[in-house]
Amino acid sequence: MPNSASPVTTELHFFDAVSDKVIPAYRVLDGNGQIGEAFARKIYEKMSLLPALDNVLYNVQRQGKISFYMTTHGEEAAVIGSAAGLDDTDEVMGQYREMGVLLWRGFSLNAIMGQCLGNEEDSGTKGRQMPVHFGSPAHHFHTISSPLATQIPQAAGVGYALKRDPARRGKNCTMVYFGEGAASEGDFHAGMLLASVLGSPTVFFCRNNGFAISTPAAEQYAGDGIASRGPGYGVKTVRVDGNDALAVLAAVREARRYAIAESKPVLIEATTYRVGHHSTSDDSFAYRPRSEVENWKKTDNPLWRMRRFLEGRGWWDEAAEQEMKDRYKNEVLAAFRRGETLKRHPLGELFTDVYGGEMPWHLKEQRDELSALLKKYSNVWEPWKKELAKFQGNGKEML
Amino acid sequence: MHGLRQHAQTSRFVSRSTLRTLRGVSACQGRRYAGTTPTEAQEKPPPAGGELPSIATSKLLRVTRETALKSPGLMWTSEPESASPDGGRETRKMNMYQAVRDALGIALSTDESAVVFGEDVAFGGVFRCTMGLAQEYGKERVFNTPLTEQASTNGIAGFGIGLAAMGQTAIAEIQFSDYIFPAFDQLVNEAAKIRYRSGGQFNVGGLTVRTPCMSVGHGGLYHSQSPEGFFLGASGLKVVVPRSPIQAKGLLLASIRDPNPVIFMEPKILYRSSVEQVPISDYTLPLSKMETLVRGSDLTLLTWGTPLYTCEMAMSMLSSPPPSLQGEDFVPRDARKANIELIDLRTILPWDMEGVIESVNRTGRLVIVHEAGRTGGVGAEIAAEVQKRCFLKLAAPVKRVCGWDTPVGLQYEKFYIPDALRILDAMVETLKY
Repeated sequence: MPNSASPVTTELHFFDAVSDKVIPAYRVLDGNGQIGEAFARKIYEKMSLLPALDNVLYNVQRQGKISFYMTTHGEEAAVIGSAAGLDDTDEVMGQYREMGVLLWRGFSLNAIMGQCLGNEEDSGTKGRQMPVHFGSPAHHFHTISSPLATQIPQAAGVGYALKRDPARRGKNCTMVYFGEGAASEGDFHAGMLLASVLGSPTVFFCRNNGFAISTPAAEQYAGDGIASRGPGYGVKTVRVDGNDALAVLAAVREARRYAIAESKPVLIEATTYRVGHHSTSDDSFAYRPRSEVENWKKTDNPLWRMRRFLEGRGWWDEAAEQEMKDRYKNEVLAAFRRGETLKRHPLGELFTDVYGGEMPWHLKEQRDELSALLKKYSNVWEPWKKELAKFQGNGKEML
Repeated sequence: MHGLRQHAQTSRFVSRSTLRTLRGVSACQGRRYAGTTPTEAQEKPPPAGGELPSIATSKLLRVTRETALKSPGLMWTSEPESASPDGGRETRKMNMYQAVRDALGIALSTDESAVVFGEDVAFGGVFRCTMGLAQEYGKERVFNTPLTEQASTNGIAGFGIGLAAMGQTAIAEIQFSDYIFPAFDQLVNEAAKIRYRSGGQFNVGGLTVRTPCMSVGHGGLYHSQSPEGFFLGASGLKVVVPRSPIQAKGLLLASIRDPNPVIFMEPKILYRSSVEQVPISDYTLPLSKMETLVRGSDLTLLTWGTPLYTCEMAMSMLSSPPPSLQGEDFVPRDARKANIELIDLRTILPWDMEGVIESVNRTGRLVIVHEAGRTGGVGAEIAAEVQKRCFLKLAAPVKRVCGWDTPVGLQYEKFYIPDALRILDAMVETLKY
């Protein structure tokens, strides 16, 4: 058989990945996780920090204090469990619902607020991108961008670069996150294909949370989820219970070990449920019943499951829970209030970083044009006057 | 798709037939441009009976070592080889694909992080630009990507962005610029914006995307396009088009080393038809700098890539019209004496505004020639800036000679691509205005 290692059969039979064989989901958290106390507590605490941040930032968006927000509700185990399975120096390319990776790696609350508020501490985007578009080279977290799935073929390239870097070869892999909706983009095909054919140590991590905005997974694909596609690309694949932080942790640990040792990609599909709305611009009860969401929160809550695991070992109790919640509430609110008072980057940053090297003539001219308009009008035109006051130096460097 | 590409590969034979046709446009004799600064080739006497410029015999090409080493703007990356006035540097006769290959070899040998990849590059490329590189530098550094448009073109760009985001040098090839559109998202939304959107924390300056462009005589809709204009709005990218082997090598090395992502569009009809003595050592030519090829005082003729040679022919026809066009209605006697300034823009984004404006302020007239369709083309952008900056100096409206706003119909190409007659007519109309 050219191009195939298949056995020969005389029976005509069309293979159906759904009914013939459904890829099972790997689960640990029914009681047998092997994990130390401090590490387990760190996982739970970082998981719990996500809703603490989500609650405050979701609400301040509702009050108009930030322009946009996206919560991680329901996917805390998938995000924190996977971050815990990586080395902190592995390169991470995210979609947008992976703030937890940064929290795991010690990104500060001030930095979170800085980006969401677009203030002068937003070194990740200098106030240029929408909220939750984080980035930090120090945390090996590539800056998020809105176009879906573009990070997937890029991650194949980042993995290949790691393989070619003598200092990091055999030590690091790339982890790329995306939702099951983004996996419908051509870029998913490109990334999987390139990583497998070219031999790139990249872990593809799909958060299958059942919805792409309003589109249920059933309208997203007709096959057996995303995992069933991996073998077609010759990519080692596993499906994990994404609400089981320890299953995710174990799967990612093994995936990165294999990816680095073999210079090959791995696909992980974490099945979970998007408890929150898609974003602050979305009301998900327009396309799914409130009761369904409430049921999920009760029957399969990743935070409760992790908490029960800790409590079963005597590593956690109600007092610890209360102490943590109070602490987070205070810290998050304090960071937000502090960030709220800070100014934005200088207005001139509007024109920088488009090109490396010398600023081209057309940008210089356009900066000068805005500058001349500001000189002429900013004292008399209220909307500009008010806005200028929000920038460091009140836009003086442009005047 | 692959079949089509194989077909287009035969384009290397096209140049000859195209040249025949170009000669057929007129059986007349062209000679020196009236009143222009002599270039090297012009110092040689024309053959008996004269000749009409073609790509192969173009006076724009530098066919001796001396003139090659005097190419304006050459920046040597290595020390001179001797104390002689020209540094003792050597040149070798190369066509454009050999010059591209030479540049890629230098990029790979001087930068350990550099990799070259794309469809069919490992065996040498459908246009031979990567011949022998895989053997010389290994399969990890010169490799094929899978061949499907979405995966490879967008994937090639995305993969290259990933490499470049890690500080490495990624030289990607998109087999034809007609197939760059699946990568439009990665190039416009990602590559162009990564430095800006990350507050300067990440960049993909190490990315260069090479792609063959422009017409080839029989490329039809999808082996003929000039998509440079589509990238004009993608600030953050640079777009470069060379005209000859010396230019291709110097501009490609500059693009590879520039701290920004660059789309490098190689006019494919020139791969074999343009031949020069190319310096063999490492050198670059400046980006965002146009080059004046012929000095003139009455009209600026501005273009890039293949049409430069068509412009050269049109200039020859203007100063010395073929018998069929000698009527006063076609080329008036006054117009024949006009001194035409020929400019190669070279970099489309960001383009050399100062250079163009300086020229038009001197000549008072501008004709822009490009193969892409007129509406939304690069000519529109340049014309708008020129009318803004040269309003009081302009003696005639800026004229654009472009492809029509249609796809490139296969059997219609001779009437689609701006040819010498259309450029001649535009110059005459502009001079007469």
